Amino acid sequence: MTRLAPFLNVWKKRWARLLLGLTLAELSICAAFLLMGQTGSRLGAATASGAVGFALLRWAGSSRILLRYFERLATHDATFHVLADIRVWFYRRLAQGAAAGLGFRRSGDLLSRLVSDVQSLDSLYLRILVPILTAFVSLPIVIWLVVKNSIPLAISIAVLFIITAFLLPFFAARIAYRWGPDLQTAQAELNNQALDLTTGLRELRIFNREATAKEKLFASEDTFYRLQHRQGMAMAHIHAVSLFLTKLGVICVLAACAGIVFPRPQAVMGMTILFVVMTALDNIVDLPRAGLILGQVRHAAERVSEVTMVSQTSHQDGQNSAPEGYEIEFKNVSFGWTDERPVLNDISLRLREGERAALIGPSGVGKSSLAALLLKVATPQRGSITLGGGNISSMRTDAVRGRIAWLSQASHLFDDTIRANLLLGRTNISDDEMWSALEQAQIADFVRSLPEGLDAWIGENGSKISGGQGRRIALARVLLSKAPVLVLDEPGTGLDLETEKAFLKTLNGLEQSRTILLITHRLLGVEQLDHLWTLKDGSLASHRL
Amino acid sequence: MLKGWIRQQNRANRSSTISMALMGMLNVGSGVVLAWNLAAILAELLTGRTNVNYTHLIFFVCASIVRVILGYLQEITALRSGEKARKRLRRALLERFFTQGPSLLRYQHSAALASMLTDRVEALEGYFSRWLPASALWAIAQWFVVVVVFTQNKHAGLILGGCCLILPVFQAVFGIATSIASRRQFMAMNRLQVRFLDRIRGIATIVLSGNAERDAQALGQAAEELRKRTMKVLRVAFLTSAATDIAMIVALVWIVIDQGQQLLHGNSSAHVTGIIFSVLMVPEAFAPFRALSAAYQDRAQISSTGEAIQKLPAQPKSTLTVDTKALKQPQRNENGASLEVEHVCYRWLDDRPLALDHVSFNLESGDIALLEGPSGAGKSTLIEMILGFIKPLQGHLRFGGVDMAQLHPSEVTRHISWIGQKPVLFAGTLRENILFASPDVDEEQLQAALEASAITDYLPMLPDGLDTLIGEGGFGLSGGQAQRVAIARAFLKDAPLLIMDEPTAHLDPATELEILQALKKLLKGRTALISTHSPQFHNIGETKRLIMQEGRIVSQEISS
Repeated sequence: MTRLAPFLNVWKKRWARLLLGLTLAELSICAAFLLMGQTGSRLGAATASGAVGFALLRWAGSSRILLRYFERLATHDATFHVLADIRVWFYRRLAQGAAAGLGFRRSGDLLSRLVSDVQSLDSLYLRILVPILTAFVSLPIVIWLVVKNSIPLAISIAVLFIITAFLLPFFAARIAYRWGPDLQTAQAELNNQALDLTTGLRELRIFNREATAKEKLFASEDTFYRLQHRQGMAMAHIHAVSLFLTKLGVICVLAACAGIVFPRPQAVMGMTILFVVMTALDNIVDLPRAGLILGQVRHAAERVSEVTMVSQTSHQDGQNSAPEGYEIEFKNVSFGWTDERPVLNDISLRLREGERAALIGPSGVGKSSLAALLLKVATPQRGSITLGGGNISSMRTDAVRGRIAWLSQASHLFDDTIRANLLLGRTNISDDEMWSALEQAQIADFVRSLPEGLDAWIGENGSKISGGQGRRIALARVLLSKAPVLVLDEPGTGLDLETEKAFLKTLNGLEQSRTILLITHRLLGVEQLDHLWTLKDGSLASHRL
Repeated sequence: MLKGWIRQQNRANRSSTISMALMGMLNVGSGVVLAWNLAAILAELLTGRTNVNYTHLIFFVCASIVRVILGYLQEITALRSGEKARKRLRRALLERFFTQGPSLLRYQHSAALASMLTDRVEALEGYFSRWLPASALWAIAQWFVVVVVFTQNKHAGLILGGCCLILPVFQAVFGIATSIASRRQFMAMNRLQVRFLDRIRGIATIVLSGNAERDAQALGQAAEELRKRTMKVLRVAFLTSAATDIAMIVALVWIVIDQGQQLLHGNSSAHVTGIIFSVLMVPEAFAPFRALSAAYQDRAQISSTGEAIQKLPAQPKSTLTVDTKALKQPQRNENGASLEVEHVCYRWLDDRPLALDHVSFNLESGDIALLEGPSGAGKSTLIEMILGFIKPLQGHLRFGGVDMAQLHPSEVTRHISWIGQKPVLFAGTLRENILFASPDVDEEQLQAALEASAITDYLPMLPDGLDTLIGEGGFGLSGGQAQRVAIARAFLKDAPLLIMDEPTAHLDPATELEILQALKKLLKGRTALISTHSPQFHNIGETKRLIMQEGRIVSQEISS
């Protein structure tokens, strides 16, 4: 349960709402007891003694209706509050550290798996916590009612109740937890096979392997359904057991009414007990199944908290704001993502304000790592990096990132309008500025040709526009930033030669005060540069222009 | 269209729906036995009979056990039928994907297609295992209970029947609003989830642009807005549940009061049994309706999945009328095979201009043609047409002397190799990824392909050599290394016609030169069409240059 702690912390600030929902749920179950108890006792009283008043019955009926309605509203309202909180909390935690690193390593799939883990946390309150806590309240009520009549009967009911409401769910949770993430792994495997199949449609057709891909997909489907079947069977078994136990509880009371085994209660009391016990047991019959779900939610919670823990520990922030100047200097910097594989070895370079430089080298030699260091996504193992004369490790991360705009190779386009993609939440940018950035990125004509213009929707990761167009929108987004330093990582990816040349020419035309670092695997000859660096085997070489 | 599709799904699932509904009916029947015996025991208690009667208790125990077993069987049947339905649906979708072929990727992102195969199909479980049986059962089960109660106690039966009749009225009042609202809420939930996923995938972009906090707030606002909207919807939606509660509790209280008054005037044990039985049957009468409401979300799923499937491009009508076996095979000689393209036209969407506008050219056996032109000129469309992924609206393609319209798509691809910008590496070992092309080749042929494609150069650097896991979750190959896998695949396939779509677009100049060396070997004895932007290809030994612009070939040069 300790793994659930961080989420329970998120819940804390909504305690009032959560408590209100829970209280209404408790009151509602009490009203149900009163209603059914009154039903039993009034019928019994009418038959046995003849003296009958129905006021309490009517009152119990109407309060049950009202309470049930407001309970549903309150618990759902609380759930939605928490749902929003958990998403924002997770987003913030991820943004604090891990995210940037993950982005550099392109772990999109890992992230989407985490999202579904976060989603599964939603069921914690409504489907698990509220029902279990309700059971805690109904148990004493039921026992109090029965114990006045017969202690053995009370003990029998209590035992059956405790097994069904607490022990079975507990063991179900244990079993489901011990299964581990098998089911999720199988599902991920199925997703991977499906993705392999759809991305590889061309290859599969050309090499006549469609049948094989189909078989592979079906094989992983089989595994997934086998595991799902195991879980489904476990649910069915455990539900059958809990159904049997609750029926056994009713049988006990009935036996007492018939005078078998247990002492026979007085008629009216017997009716009341029977109706109340039936209601109480009906309400806990689904708890063992909830236990199985809890087992899986725990795994999801563990994966989520693991990622967010990492982001906490690796996060070290400076205090200072960034200085006015923006000269960049690397002094004897060495770095590797892992200790075994150093990527940069004793690198020194200086980029004065307004200078243009190109960093060239084949893919995979660590050019992007250099950008990562500059943006404080990673910290160098040795050496120092200064911005405007100050060491960036002493500056606030967001202050550094406010001075350096970065276009990554994997720059993400959001499933939103062009406007929203350019603004990324900023509100201080006018349409004119947006158009001039689009103009510089050579994409304004295209945007103008769209019927909705800036408000055109570009689809999931820009699926409604071409790769080159998406790339240019990402470029325009970077150009919009007020940052004096631009780091462009392979800006030509997905552009044809002419467009790339035209774009590089527009870079030459930007304000002279802006520093530009171009990271690329080739030069096209139109760049106007002050420095040309090549990176090979971890060391930097400067070339004369 | 959508309704027809849903009906078709329902029909395919009919047998399990019926068997589940039948079990549901039996379950209701055992509920009647249960309640009757319980009522009888209580009646004995109330009328003060002292002698113990075991029969009712035994009946009660037996009915309880039957009920537990039936519930178990129902659950297992639901599990099986849900699984079967999903398998069926997935197979139908796959069939559709493969019939439409790779051109599908022009209309939909591969990730969207993949999620259709997985998430969307999986989301339908509840529709088949819960909604269908519940919707088949509820009305019959409910009125069965009412009739049974009526036979035991006319008053109670009338009251219960009246309250059950009110349900459809409530449904009419709240139902329409609720169904629209809950559909909208379902979509809004979905949208928030998609937005969240999208933000998380792109989190690095946001964080590094320094907008994370602003965006977190925006995300919180979106969720808050969703909550407000959803609560507005739920306030009405829960009225439907409350209406069911009201109908049930009114029936219960009314019967108790009405019968309580009758009980005051003396009574027989049988009479009392009937009354208690009626009271006990009240929840039973409303249970099927509750099951139906609980499965409402599942119903919304089928429409949204159905819509997504309907949006897939329609299956092309088969133009194949001739018996393929009677036709001759495409001719190939030691230099490759010929390709004639005659006035072909194509457009992707009806309202778009022609992507190919009367394109004509000829390649003799052994020709190596470069295809050049700006992005969007129609080069990729032309390549997809030659590969048989799409059929020309007008014009003909002749391959090895045979009209391609008379060849089955798989027959076309059997004679063509293709190298794209980035090969798709499947999850698996390097060996599997290379042998993917032709699994039956021997070790010697594999070695030859490894040499020719120069994979041997980087093989020693891989942790497990040919058995290194690559692709999703495996070792990452660089662009050049991956492209060599594509070249090895083409060597192994040994087709007379070779089509390349910007094979070096993502490579640095040094790697590009190395790849060109390997490609030169591959080109020997083959006809080739190479689409490229790179000037490096100009000394690969090309015999023709085709330049495309706006869907037309604007220049054809013969190089020496």
